[in-house]
Amino acid sequence: MKKLVESSGLEVAYKEIDVVTTGTFGAMCSSGAIINLGHSDPPIKISKAWINNVEVCHPGGAVDLYIGATQMSQTKPFEYGGGHLIEDLIRGKEVELTATAYGTDCYPRTKLETTITKHDLNQFYLVNFRNCYQRYNCATNSRNETIYTYMGKLLPNFKNATYSGAGALNPLTNDPDYETIGIGTRIFLGGTQGYVIGEGTQHDPKNRFGNLMVRGNCKKMNPDFIQGAALTKYGTTLYIGIGIPIPILNQGITKKVAITDEQILTDIVDYGTPRRTRPKLGKVSYKRLKSGTVTINNKTVRVSPLSSLKKAKTIAQTLKTWIENATFYLTAPAERLPTDTTCKPMKQTKEITFVENLTHPAVTCTENEKIKTVAQRIITHSVNHIVVVDNQEKLRGIVTSWDITKAVAEGKEKLTDITIKKVVTTAPDEPIEAASRKMAQHNISALPVINRDKKVLGIITSEDILKLVGR
Amino acid sequence: MVRLLLRFSEKEVSQPVTAEVILEQGVPVNILSAHINQLGGEILAEIPSKHLDKIVKAFRDRGVTVQVRKLIEVDEEECFDCGACLSLCPVNAITLEEDFSVAFDEGKCIGTTCGLCADACPARAIKLTR
Repeated sequence: MKKLVESSGLEVAYKEIDVVTTGTFGAMCSSGAIINLGHSDPPIKISKAWINNVEVCHPGGAVDLYIGATQMSQTKPFEYGGGHLIEDLIRGKEVELTATAYGTDCYPRTKLETTITKHDLNQFYLVNFRNCYQRYNCATNSRNETIYTYMGKLLPNFKNATYSGAGALNPLTNDPDYETIGIGTRIFLGGTQGYVIGEGTQHDPKNRFGNLMVRGNCKKMNPDFIQGAALTKYGTTLYIGIGIPIPILNQGITKKVAITDEQILTDIVDYGTPRRTRPKLGKVSYKRLKSGTVTINNKTVRVSPLSSLKKAKTIAQTLKTWIENATFYLTAPAERLPTDTTCKPMKQTKEITFVENLTHPAVTCTENEKIKTVAQRIITHSVNHIVVVDNQEKLRGIVTSWDITKAVAEGKEKLTDITIKKVVTTAPDEPIEAASRKMAQHNISALPVINRDKKVLGIITSEDILKLVGR
Repeated sequence: MVRLLLRFSEKEVSQPVTAEVILEQGVPVNILSAHINQLGGEILAEIPSKHLDKIVKAFRDRGVTVQVRKLIEVDEEECFDCGACLSLCPVNAITLEEDFSVAFDEGKCIGTTCGLCADACPARAIKLTR
């Protein structure tokens, strides 16, 4: 379609083509499966349940369970989770179920242990409440340490970037105004036929971040198109293949479907800032992203796709074959999806504390000062940390009272011999929670607060955080 | 050329083993990467294939563990070609083919001396050979 519009124009493309198929295969965390076990004898009204050590929730009556894709195994956290469990069940594997209950007159049983496969279940449906985003940000990391995010592994100091989504092949990119995709639209879901059942949660079509709620029969799914996955230090998830046919009903739709990777822009976002609104560092097209590199702060860095472009193509192609073979019929939506909503932020009744709220002036020294002078300063100010700065107040290192004690014991005199140069730092707009996690991770008790130019603005210590907790 | 992974224990690092082998055998040993301190570590080196046997022997005689096999194993069954590993490889050993398959160039890979890609694989398809 895209090539035909370019070579022969909209009118010819509109007359020649009836349906355009799209596809995407990526991590979709807000997914899960509802299963119904059937009743045990004596019956049980499950209050807590685990399958393969993954806690599953009990949203309804007695024996309905919802397997959340991101729920992690209690014995193999970060490696096995709900996503893997759904994949295992689809593959026909036997899984272990344990459940507990408080017992009632009608449901007397309080304990349950059994094994199940998908064939033992009454229903096994994927019910995903936020899937198939129109586009994603391109993620990178300003921090001086590697971070592990839902956008994958991000190396320090903008050394790499990641993105997700199939660009011009992405379903919702081809119908951004939801003219053909709505409630009841039949789709390719996990290798079988599924349905759009509504807009997804956080549906934000106004900012071109729309998404879908979908449902499909897991018993008929193909594990090539639905796979559990583990993102190190983030958690488990589920990779899902979705393909949507777009009927070419008029020239307007023809024009929208003709969109190219070059025309789809997304923001390069700094995931090193642990806030709801993260700094945007520029815009980039999907064409550039698919080329394998992106420019950040005038430097060319490599970029990883996180969703499989190969599978996305296979999905669009498979859907095309189904339609051609008349095994898949297009449906008109029963109801249109909203096109004017946005995603509101959370209402918070308690404001959280940020580093700037607890920062106090740092006691500093320069690299050429004597250890003895610095030791005296520690006593005068009654502190444990001295921040080493240059003449522009930029961070050079840190010295603790312990380092000084050790230096005295070992007879060292030069400050540069004991200065810790690789300093873990924080920024004024970092939440206290994130700062205290850094201290715990690195087993340290203070963080210099610096700005983007590495100028020292102050210091925050574990004592400050303790006082906050005890308040 | 052939790549060797040399593993040194605390005992061998106190000796100039690599220099001795080069001088004794008169063979150029190109060090590609090294991850080593006084407690031991690894060196990835490249040598001309025709000298493989005598160089391996020379290192082994000095107590060094030598590995000539693959440095990385990619489970093709598990890999679903997402490409999360692409931007992490410092030696450009991982690339996207024209059909968007993820391709690993084992000749370029520096194995356990790097290992950046392994924990970034959502399918857990990349194993570093130990």
